[in-house]
Amino acid sequence: MAHVPKTMAASAQAMALPLGRRGRQEEDRELVRLSQNGTEAAFEELVRRHQQRVFALVGGILRRQEDVEDVAQQVFLKAYLGIKRFDQRAAFSTWLYKIAVNECWDYLRKRKVRPLTYEADLSEEQVSKLDGLATADRPPENAAVRTEARELIQQLLAPLPEQDQQLLLLKEVEGFSVQELAEILKLNVNTVKVRLFRARGRMMESYRRRKARSAKTSALQAAVERKA
Amino acid sequence: MGSNPEFGNGACAGYEAHLEDFLDGALSGAEASKVSEHLKTCVGCRTALDEVRESARLLRAAEPAADPGLGFARVVMARVRATESEQSRQRARFWQPFVSVGWRFAATATLAIGALLTYGAGRARLLQPSGAFGRPTVVRDVFSAEVTTAQVNTDELLMPRAEMNHGNN
Repeated sequence: MAHVPKTMAASAQAMALPLGRRGRQEEDRELVRLSQNGTEAAFEELVRRHQQRVFALVGGILRRQEDVEDVAQQVFLKAYLGIKRFDQRAAFSTWLYKIAVNECWDYLRKRKVRPLTYEADLSEEQVSKLDGLATADRPPENAAVRTEARELIQQLLAPLPEQDQQLLLLKEVEGFSVQELAEILKLNVNTVKVRLFRARGRMMESYRRRKARSAKTSALQAAVERKA
Repeated sequence: MGSNPEFGNGACAGYEAHLEDFLDGALSGAEASKVSEHLKTCVGCRTALDEVRESARLLRAAEPAADPGLGFARVVMARVRATESEQSRQRARFWQPFVSVGWRFAATATLAIGALLTYGAGRARLLQPSGAFGRPTVVRDVFSAEVTTAQVNTDELLMPRAEMNHGNN
């Protein structure tokens, strides 16, 4: 196995160094060139650099944590097998994310499954948690609270069309930019913005509706308890 | 600009993308003031923006996907190597029937050539005069006149004469 130059064979620590987007892209370009020449270590470095974003993207589309790792592995395997044909006209990340999106669609089609949806109504407790999150000045710092918030939000998004859910999760939770989403999903930038804005509206409408339903159920339960 | 009742958010259709940018803080100074001016006069856009503001807060509270850790890259590379070796095995398997047929053909051809050579050599031996009848047989035509006289050397000519003289002596 050929050796990656010292600057490229950066360890996880070196990767954590703050790098500008352009700087990272230049490094990616060099790593891609080395990978195209058969340097496995360079490709491994590319995997390390992009694995978190690929996980986020795949997770945002499939929303089944148990399948995310398999699909993410498949994405990198396809990238490795196709890297010699990658002409570097686009950024490596954009090319990789497109592979990831296609892999997710393939996976869903082969398995004939819809991304995971929660049909259950929100409980009164869940509604009050969501209310707290919606009015908070800043996001919660506790990881456990954030994980619970993610589950609640996925429940909230469940009745929305697939693309609304994906756009909202990828943009607001996983931090993809509008430009990136437009490239990955092959949409016009303005279209992405409009869809995002409308998706937000639908999400809040779903929230209000379920909140009202939850309040109604609670009131009914209370009435039954009183009678009993 | 008309509102957008189809999607129920009440915002003006031409302002939705700007409102998304406004929410995201992605508008430049001039664009931001243009949207602000519009919001002062348009109740639909103002209401829609107020409603979706909460969505950003809610969504940003969620935990993003975790980094799978260093082990993931190793697993990927192991899968890459396994796939590569499987591919090279498949390539070998693809050519194997052709190679096998080739060897069979070569073996058959060698055997056939050997058999032909053996047969040829045997036939040639049959046609060639052997040691017992080595020299060509001279068949004399008894009815034809002797036209040639056997060549004799000096010794043969002198020997009978010498024998005759010896008898006389």
